[in-house]
Amino acid sequence: MAIHEKSLIEPERLLQYDDLVVDGVDVSGHWNTMITPRTLRDYDEDFEKTIQSYGGGEYVHRCWQCGSCTNSCTMYAQNTQFNPRYWIYLTRLGLKEELIKDKDIIWQCVSCNKCTNICPKDVRPEGVMKALAHWMEDEGITEKSPSTHFDEEFADQIFKTGRIEDSHVLMHFFKKTGQPLMQGWLVEFGKRMTKGLPIAQMLRMGLNMLFPPKTKSWGRTGEVLQQYVREQKEAAHG
Amino acid sequence: MQNTVLVVGGGPAGLSAAATVSASGFDAVVVEKEEVLGGAPILSGYAKLVPSGEWAKDAIGRMVTRVVDDANVTIHTAAKVTRLEGEPGNFTATLSNGETVSAGAIVLGTGFTHFDPINKPEWGFGTFEDVLTTTQMEQMVGAGEIRCPSDGRVPQRVAILLCVGSRDRQIGREWCSKICCTVSSNLAMEIKELSPETDVFIYYMDIRTFGLYEDKFYWKSQEEFKTKYVKARIAEVTASGDGRLLVKGEDTLVKRPIVIPFDLVVHAIGMDPNEDNPDISRVFGVGLERHGFIARAEHYTNSCGTTRQGIYSAGAAYGPETIDDSISQGHTAGARAVADLYALVRKAG
Ligand SMILES: Cc1cc2nc3c(=O)[nH]c(=O)nc-3n(C[C@H](O)[C@H](O)[C@H](O)COP(=O)(O)OP(=O)(O)OC[C@H]3O[C@@H](n4cnc5c(N)ncnc54)[C@H](O)[C@@H]3O)c2cc1C
Ligand code: SF4
Ligand code: SF4
Ligand code: SF4
Repeated sequence: MAIHEKSLIEPERLLQYDDLVVDGVDVSGHWNTMITPRTLRDYDEDFEKTIQSYGGGEYVHRCWQCGSCTNSCTMYAQNTQFNPRYWIYLTRLGLKEELIKDKDIIWQCVSCNKCTNICPKDVRPEGVMKALAHWMEDEGITEKSPSTHFDEEFADQIFKTGRIEDSHVLMHFFKKTGQPLMQGWLVEFGKRMTKGLPIAQMLRMGLNMLFPPKTKSWGRTGEVLQQYVREQKEAAHG
Repeated sequence: MQNTVLVVGGGPAGLSAAATVSASGFDAVVVEKEEVLGGAPILSGYAKLVPSGEWAKDAIGRMVTRVVDDANVTIHTAAKVTRLEGEPGNFTATLSNGETVSAGAIVLGTGFTHFDPINKPEWGFGTFEDVLTTTQMEQMVGAGEIRCPSDGRVPQRVAILLCVGSRDRQIGREWCSKICCTVSSNLAMEIKELSPETDVFIYYMDIRTFGLYEDKFYWKSQEEFKTKYVKARIAEVTASGDGRLLVKGEDTLVKRPIVIPFDLVVHAIGMDPNEDNPDISRVFGVGLERHGFIARAEHYTNSCGTTRQGIYSAGAAYGPETIDDSISQGHTAGARAVADLYALVRKAG
C-alpha cells in the first residue's frame, strides 16, 4: 500500500525504487515504498568509558533517568529536542548513532548548571554535555567551536614562543573562524589605543607584530610542554 | 494443660517461631515436608543473602543448628499434617508419618513456591539452555564460576529480566514479589565479582529496592559494579543463530524496539503462594486471601493471626516477604502462640 504520511518518518528510513516491476506488475515510485525498522540491534559497552575519559563525563554511569536535568534545563525550555537525560542514556548504552543525530544541538548547552544543582544522583549533566561536545569535535563529527579554535591558537603560541602576542592570536583566530581581519570595532580599538601613545612604544609594537619575540631561553621548553599535553590526552582518552 | 506449639514449615519463619517457643520455656514440634530444614534459602541453594552478605548456608545454617540442638524442640522432616482436630488450646494433629501431635497453638511457616518460568514460554526458559532462573544463578555463584551452560563459555553479557511471574495479569500474578529487585542487583554484583569481563544488564519496569536497600544494592551495583539498568519489559527471548540469545522488547526511554544479543538470560522469578495452600487451608481451616496466600488477620491488635483463632502464621506464607522480616514475624507468631499457652495456664490455675 502506498504510504502517505511520509512527513512523519525520518527520510533515511524510507526505501523507494523509481522503477520496479514485480511479476509483470509495475509498482514504480510510491507503490513500492518501504520503511526500514527503527530497531536498536546492539549496545557498545566501551562508549560510556570513552565519554568518562573526558573532563566532566566521569559520573555519567550514575544516571537513573529521572529526567530532573531535562526538566530544569535552560535549553530544553527553548527546544524540547535538547534533552540531556536522553543523551546520557544513549551514552550509557553506547547508542552512538542516535547521539550523532543530535550533533547540531548538543553543543548548545549554556553551562548554566541548573541540571547539576538538581540531579539527585550527582551525575553533573553539564559536565557530560561538555564531554560529549568535546568527543564530537575530536571525532570530527562537529566542527571545532570558536572557543576551541581560540584555545588552540593561544596554546600554539605559548608552545612556540613562550608568550602571547595578542595581535597574532586575533589574526589567526579570525582566519580559522572565517572572519574578516578588518572589523569595524577592531579598527576603532586600534585607533583609540595608539592615540597619544609615545612613538617608541608604537615602534616596538609594530616590530613585535612583524617579528614575534620569544621568551628568553625558551629553547625546547615548548616541545616538552607540547609532548606532556599530548601524553596527558592520550592517557585520558586512550 | 498444654505445653506444646506446633510449627509447620522449617524455613526462616518456622525456625524462629520454634526458637521463641523454646526460649519461653515451652515445647515446639516442627513439621517440615522436605528432608532438610532451612526453607527456600537452603533448599534452593541461595548464595550470599540480602542484606547481610552472609552465605545462606552459614546464616540459615545457624538458625537450623540452634533448633536442632534444642532439647525442647522435636523435629519431623519429610512429614506433613494430614488432619487437624480439636480447638484453640487443644489441637490434635495427625502427621503423614503416622504420629500425632497435641498442641495448644499452631504457627504456619509454610512459605511460598518459586514461580515456574515455564509458564512464560516466550521468555525462553526450558527452550534455551542459557536461560536460567535467579535460583539457578544463585547456585552458579555458590559454585564460584560464571559459565554458559550450553558450551561452558564465559558470558560477555548477561541480561537479568525482572518481574518474571510477578505483576502480570496475563498469568494471574497481580503482586510484586518484593525482594527480586534487590536480589537481582545483588546477583549482578556477584556475577561481576566472579567474572569481571562480564557486563550485566537489568531490564526493569520499576526498581523496588526499598528502604536501606536503595544505596546498598541498587546504587552500588550501578555505580561501583557498572550494572546497566534498561527500562523495558522484555517481550521475547529467541536464538540468534550464532549460539547467542536475542532479547526483544521496547526500550521505553528511547521509544524504540530493541533486539540485543546476550550470552545468558536470567529470570528474576517471583514468589507464588505455596502450592500446598489449598490443602493447608482445608486441613487447618484457615482462609486464603484473593491471590492464594494465607489470609492475614487484622494486624494492629491481632498480629500474625489468621482467620482461625489459635492458628498463627509468619513470613512468605502471607505473601512475598524478605528473610529478615520472615524471621521477625516468626518470633512474633511464636510469642503469640506462647501467650495463648500462658492464658491456658492462668485459666487452669
Ligand atoms: C531467588 C530468590 C532469592 C532470594 N534471596 C533473598 C535474600 O537474599 N534475602 C532475603 O531477605 N530474601 C530472599 N528471598 C526471599 C526468601 O526466600 C524468603 O523471604 C524466605 O524464604 C521466606 O521464609 P519462610 O520461612 O517464610 O518460607 P520458606 O523459606 O518458603 O520456608 C517454608 C518451609 O515450609 C515448608 N513447607 C511448605 N509447605 C509445607 C507443608 N504443607 N507442610 C510442611 N512443611 C511445608 C517448606 O518445605 C519450607 O521448608 C529470595 C527469594 C528468591 C526467590
Ligand atoms: S548546564 Fe546545559 S544541560 Fe545543564 S541545564 Fe544548563 S543548558 Fe541544560
Ligand atoms: S537529573 Fe541526574 S539522574 Fe536524573 S536523568 Fe538527569 S542526569 Fe540522570
Ligand atoms: S521486587 Fe522488583 S522484580 Fe520483583 S516483582 Fe517487584 S518490581 Fe518486579
